[in-house]
Amino acid sequence: MKRFSKFLMLGISLALIAVLAIPAFAQGGEGDPIVTSNIGDDPSTFNPILGSDTTSSSIYGRMYPSIVAADPVTLEPAPNVAGGLATGWEYDETGTVLTVTLREDAFWGDGTQITSADYLWAVNAVQSGVTSSPRTSVFYELADGTNVGGTIHEVTALDDFTVQIRLGNVETDDNGEVIVDADGNAVLIPNCDAINDINDVTPVPAHIYSAAFGDDYGSMDSDPYFVPESDGGIATFGAWTDPFIEFGVQVSLLADQNYPDTQLGYVAPAEWILQGVEDTTVEFERFLAGDFTTITVSADRQNGVRGDERFQFIEYPSNGYTYMGYNLADPSNPQAGRDENGELIDQGIHPIFGDVKVRQAIAYAVNVRDIIGTQPDGDNPATGILEGNGYPQATNNHPGLSSVDPGVEPYPYEPETAVALLEEAGWVDADGDGVRECQGCLYAETVDASYEGSPMEFELLTNAGNNLRERTGETIRAQLAEVGITVNFQTIEFGTLVDELLGQEFDALIIGWQMAIPFNAGSSANSFFGIGNDRPGAGFNYVSYQNEEMQALINQGDTLAAAEDGSYGACDTEVRNEIYAEVLRTLWEDQPYLWLYAANTMVATQGNVENFDPLPYNSTWNEDAWTISGS
Amino acid sequence: MTRHIIRRLIQAIPTVFGVTILSYLIMVLAPGDPATLLTFGLTDDENNVYRNQLIERYSLDDPWIIQYLTWIVGNDWMVWKNFDENGNPKEDRLVSYGVIRGDFGESIRQRRPVSELIGERIWATLELGTSTLIVSLLLGIPIGIGAAVFHGRLFDNATRIFAVIGNSIPNFWLGLMLLLIIGVTFDNQTIPILNIEIQTDWARGGRCDRIAASRTGCGSIPIYQRLEYLILPTLVLSLGGIAGYSRFMRTSMLDVINSDYIRTARAKGLRDRNVWFRHAARNALIPIATFLGPAIVSVIGGAVVTEAIFSWPGIGRMFLDATVGRDYPVVMAAVLISALASIIAYIISDVLYAIFDPRIRF
Repeated sequence: MKRFSKFLMLGISLALIAVLAIPAFAQGGEGDPIVTSNIGDDPSTFNPILGSDTTSSSIYGRMYPSIVAADPVTLEPAPNVAGGLATGWEYDETGTVLTVTLREDAFWGDGTQITSADYLWAVNAVQSGVTSSPRTSVFYELADGTNVGGTIHEVTALDDFTVQIRLGNVETDDNGEVIVDADGNAVLIPNCDAINDINDVTPVPAHIYSAAFGDDYGSMDSDPYFVPESDGGIATFGAWTDPFIEFGVQVSLLADQNYPDTQLGYVAPAEWILQGVEDTTVEFERFLAGDFTTITVSADRQNGVRGDERFQFIEYPSNGYTYMGYNLADPSNPQAGRDENGELIDQGIHPIFGDVKVRQAIAYAVNVRDIIGTQPDGDNPATGILEGNGYPQATNNHPGLSSVDPGVEPYPYEPETAVALLEEAGWVDADGDGVRECQGCLYAETVDASYEGSPMEFELLTNAGNNLRERTGETIRAQLAEVGITVNFQTIEFGTLVDELLGQEFDALIIGWQMAIPFNAGSSANSFFGIGNDRPGAGFNYVSYQNEEMQALINQGDTLAAAEDGSYGACDTEVRNEIYAEVLRTLWEDQPYLWLYAANTMVATQGNVENFDPLPYNSTWNEDAWTISGS
Repeated sequence: MTRHIIRRLIQAIPTVFGVTILSYLIMVLAPGDPATLLTFGLTDDENNVYRNQLIERYSLDDPWIIQYLTWIVGNDWMVWKNFDENGNPKEDRLVSYGVIRGDFGESIRQRRPVSELIGERIWATLELGTSTLIVSLLLGIPIGIGAAVFHGRLFDNATRIFAVIGNSIPNFWLGLMLLLIIGVTFDNQTIPILNIEIQTDWARGGRCDRIAASRTGCGSIPIYQRLEYLILPTLVLSLGGIAGYSRFMRTSMLDVINSDYIRTARAKGLRDRNVWFRHAARNALIPIATFLGPAIVSVIGGAVVTEAIFSWPGIGRMFLDATVGRDYPVVMAAVLISALASIIAYIISDVLYAIFDPRIRF
């Protein structure tokens, strides 16, 4: 027996030794790195010409300059901004020729001066159409003459530090044919936001890229982690350089002390590390454990961080919102918004959501403020799904990012008004079973009389695994049941949801949009509600919203020409804002979505990070000055 | 035995085809496709261009049977698809050689050869899976023997309670709790979860064109430097194994102890130690061999949740992400590896069974 015990102990000891033995030799780094988290795939490339995923752009965005950088506060394109090359720009009198002047004090890390040739090389590479770059869409035509329909028509280097870009929308005649001038060039009308398109192409060190790839731009795809390097060093331009990737683990960049645009005159952290983490719960717990220098905290965890003195943070309204999208057209026959000739297609109407009164009634019946809830206050615990960390969304606008004020408020929670509107729309509970039936509803009156008597019931979808959306869907189901609407709420896998959404065969779904920065109310509305973007299988106007008057307003705002009486110039901001305000008011009234909420964004860092001076939507603008003490 | 193995391997060929063809069919019939998922969220203009590029490059508009055949035998011989109407090669189209020629294709999400992706991660999975299997067996079997020897006594009762707990606690919960307790309560000083500085120093020390797989090739951390990272994930993953093996070993041991030949051995006056270990334990181990097959498959298959919690760069999580993202070539590689591993593991199981039990003849 005694010998058996020894055997048992030996077995246990061996097993423990197998995993517990040999503690690691702690190797101190050269400095105090910034360690941040990445939920998602590894970056697919270090090359700014090829990248399309956010992880990749977070890497090359730190190593390459922008032709026109955004001001860290206004987030609008501005001259003489750190990391940018433009010292100024001006349009000609037509508003279609943009001349950009570049700084002369910018050098790649290997000592070569940055010139317009670097931008031109990248332009030619993207415009060649033979790379995997998705940015070809900014050009009107590719090198082989393929019409892509973008705004950039021609890019020319006037000298080493001056780039001229011909850009805008093509003018067409009554037959839809492009009008050309005497030189055979398309006649252009100004596109007021085209300056953002020129930033889609990032300058690269042409002397190294051309030596490595020549004119065979497509060969870049076989070397996605290419880093430009010459005898003079690594040719990047940013606070960080020398990328190193460990697949499945992390990407690290080293400080580039040659970068001239630093906040302190030097880059304080020795290294910037983007470490992979697969789950937000794990990410948050590892942040609590001190593994990560900074993370973005989800809405349901923000109250915990807010009261914890170990952390610093900034909060601001998110640039994304959550909504319930309705299928406005006949879901049994999805069709595009326009035919080949640009004519509007009659898509039929959805039996329930085809009536604007029903959509407005739902807006009154759902208590969005209750869903958002309140933050904890003293002994009162937090309430609501967002625990108070968000605000109600009224329309396709962003109060923090947009200069457009449509002057509308979210629909108030008024179940009585909802009931009245539903009854007015021909949805009544005639048999008293708690569910409304069609009694002269729009669909029965105008499309199919046999629909009369059908119950007011629809399917609501969202993606499984998104806790906030799942709980929101349950709440909406319960609140609509109160006014006699039956909601069959289902959660499905994200890929399946996207398929349903783009296929346009659903009734309603809960999902969210991220709004681009800088925010443009016109292009955002066009993307989500433009008739041209109603294409089953591809377009983002999958709710099939058709409003030609609103479309005309968007087009007017996007290409605003100068007033004939001289009262305003081309692309006048105030006039455009008035136009877009009307667009947003129309959307608010028509309710193609039930706009729900935008959660607050909270970016938190460890308390030992000095010089953490975050700006809304740009919390890391001065990360090269972050000094991490006591680690 | 050799003939049996050869016969099983030949039988495996239609099995592998059956599994892969069925998997491919289910995958392409499922809603959602890789091009749509990859381009969802891009602007409409970018979406149109990029989506078409993806469809062209990976022939996603081909019928599913053609896509499957391409995966099996490649598309380099499909001359009618590789050239445009003017006879020029289509630059956007990916040329593949098929799995039968060792080409697993290219990941649609990452645009890198699938074999490279697997090569970078398989070692991490094997490391974790093997350590889990070793710990499970080394602890589970002795505990099971002990429980049988001390049948009905305190040790037996204690192991029963442990087994119930071990089988009941979900991996994700235990992992998160350990992460929280070790990381936060003990400020990450007791057992390392992940030492980022070590990672980055070793990686950069290795250099290698700025690309490293954390477990293979240059830039990888030597195994003795990262054994400590195995502690928590191995603990989490092996808990259920220890509980399972110990209960199974106990039952098997009790069966053997009560058999006639053991009674005979005791009647002949053999010492307890000899009876338990020379006669009983060896024979009680025979049924364990049947468990080794599935256990080896789980070593290769990865542990998705545990890998996610401990940021372990294994293939389990990669395969899950690929499934969610409809990355067909990666998913099919996972299916193929899993099918082959199962077949080989069960052959190993058969062989072990024959070795342990002389009565077995194939």
